[in-house]
Amino acid sequence: MKLLQKTSRIYLLASLAIYFVVGIAFYRMIRSMIYDEVESRLKVEKRDFETYIRIHNTWESNSYFVENKIEVKPANGSFSKKAVFTDTLIHNRYEESLDPFRQLTFYTVINGKPYRVAIRKSMIQSYKLIEAVSAAIIAFLGLLMICMFFFHRRLSGKLWQPFYDSLARIKDFDWTKDEKLKLADSNITEFNELGDVMEKMAFKMQHDYKSLREFTENASHEIQTPLALINARVEQFIQSGDLGKDHTYWIEEIYHASRRMSRLNQGLLLLAKIENQQFTESEEIDLSKFVEKKLGDFEDILSHKQITVQIQSSGSFYKMMSPALADIMIANLLNNAIKHNHVNGLLQIETAPEFLQISNSGNVLKTNPERLFERFKKESSGAESLGLGLAIVKQICDNYDLHISYENIDSMHIIRVRTA
Amino acid sequence: MFPVSGFNFGRYLQKSCMKILVVEDEKGLAESIVDYLSREGFICEVANTFWQADEKISLYQYDCTIVDLTLPDGDGFSIIETLKKIVATTGIIIISARNTLEDKIKGLEIGSDDYMTKPFHLSELNARVKSLIRRRYFGGSNDMIWREIRVQLKARKVFVSEKETLLSRTEYDLLLYFLSNIDVALTKESIAEHLWGDHMDSSDSLDMVYSHIKNLRRKILEKDGKDYIQSIYGIGYKFTAS
Repeated sequence: MKLLQKTSRIYLLASLAIYFVVGIAFYRMIRSMIYDEVESRLKVEKRDFETYIRIHNTWESNSYFVENKIEVKPANGSFSKKAVFTDTLIHNRYEESLDPFRQLTFYTVINGKPYRVAIRKSMIQSYKLIEAVSAAIIAFLGLLMICMFFFHRRLSGKLWQPFYDSLARIKDFDWTKDEKLKLADSNITEFNELGDVMEKMAFKMQHDYKSLREFTENASHEIQTPLALINARVEQFIQSGDLGKDHTYWIEEIYHASRRMSRLNQGLLLLAKIENQQFTESEEIDLSKFVEKKLGDFEDILSHKQITVQIQSSGSFYKMMSPALADIMIANLLNNAIKHNHVNGLLQIETAPEFLQISNSGNVLKTNPERLFERFKKESSGAESLGLGLAIVKQICDNYDLHISYENIDSMHIIRVRTA
Repeated sequence: MFPVSGFNFGRYLQKSCMKILVVEDEKGLAESIVDYLSREGFICEVANTFWQADEKISLYQYDCTIVDLTLPDGDGFSIIETLKKIVATTGIIIISARNTLEDKIKGLEIGSDDYMTKPFHLSELNARVKSLIRRRYFGGSNDMIWREIRVQLKARKVFVSEKETLLSRTEYDLLLYFLSNIDVALTKESIAEHLWGDHMDSSDSLDMVYSHIKNLRRKILEKDGKDYIQSIYGIGYKFTAS
């Protein structure tokens, strides 16, 4: 829900509640004032009546008039000292309607006999007054509320404009690029402060990103150069001929170790680069076609290991991604499927518009297959394998919101990449 | 044209005095490269800094320049740009620790011929220098001849004792790699990397090297060639007449 919607809604609900309470209070106030008035007049009439009785000790019932009607009836048995106010309806003999009356009932003794006396006053005018006042208040408050609502909306929209502006700019901000984040100036202090903080944070982010990137690149560069030197020297050493068996073995070990280190370094650098989202170029890639094309690079090893390749396609799997990363991902997956395959094994590739699946025959896993996506997790402790291939694939998938799963059913290893 | 009689490629180069400039700030590495390439008959010079390189390329002409991209006092790219302005035909091979696509593309755009990522095999560098010179100065149309083996580079055909020998693509590449590195001990790893690139990091690739070498050897022997492929215990192979 947007902020404006939210505030409008809260505003609307709150004003409705207040409005309701105010309305009821108003109504009650007016009503009680009118009742007070009527009741005090009824009390005066009661006193008049009592005075009259005291003087004349008789009452002549004159029940013709509706208004100010005083009804005197003999009280049959029941007698109370209390005077009670009640609301009652009296039939209007002209308009065929029931009119509301306020009635004061009390008991009195006339000529030694108990009587129940009811003095009434019509409330019809008072009710009309209440209705008119209430209607006026409702209309007025309603209008006020509607006006306030729209005014508030307009005002909020205007007030928050710089905020939305800044938000749009922050959304567009790319910390991998050199462009600085510049937010619009506003005359609202809070927004300006927020803007300043955001600009500072963005600057820091860019700076950190840049220095991290430089560090990883420099570190990698600085490591690769001495490794190149070791490699070169070893190669020269090998050329010198006449090496003893021991020497050959040592040299070979040094050579292997340095090559391994260089590959590790490159792998980790690649992972860091993917994590830092340094591969920004992207284009729509048909991964299904890509796999088939990439398979050509593995022709030699496939025929060497006599692996049967089965390709099954029910549509192309398109994905917007960096071509370099697509290449690395597919190469790693195929390499993995071939490396851990048997001689005379099977390599199945299945593609569909929403997934790509590469399965290969191999030894049954002892560990949880999903754990093989972690860095340096290897099933076999073969010195040749670095344990980074699948971690790199996983990282690439994570970057592009692809879901990757690894299943091991009997001797088949199934890796499936699908859209999340 | 390339001499027709069976001669070592390196020796031929020596005759024509192919000059190579190595621009590399890591002195040891520069030394190794120079040692290796000198043995192959090239005349090599070294520049350890940007300014040395700049001076050398403005004073002398080189047939091939090997340039490291990151130098302490300057950028390798600008050396390449200057070089291309002075002698457009100079072959350029970039050697760099930077392994990014952008660098590779930029290198090719400004006119370098090849890009190698550190660490690399000297034998691979040697093969690439030779292939570059072949392409640049002989248009790649010449034959490569060594003893009874003749390779028609343009047609990708191989003749042993003037009998055509059918080689697979991999075997052909393997033979060419050997012919570029005569009398040099080649490690199995460097052969595997030359043939399949560095994405094949499995032990299978070493088996494959073995089986391809076996096939190549058999095919050469079938056509009455001699067995020039000598295996070196624990290390790899050497293509040699001795």
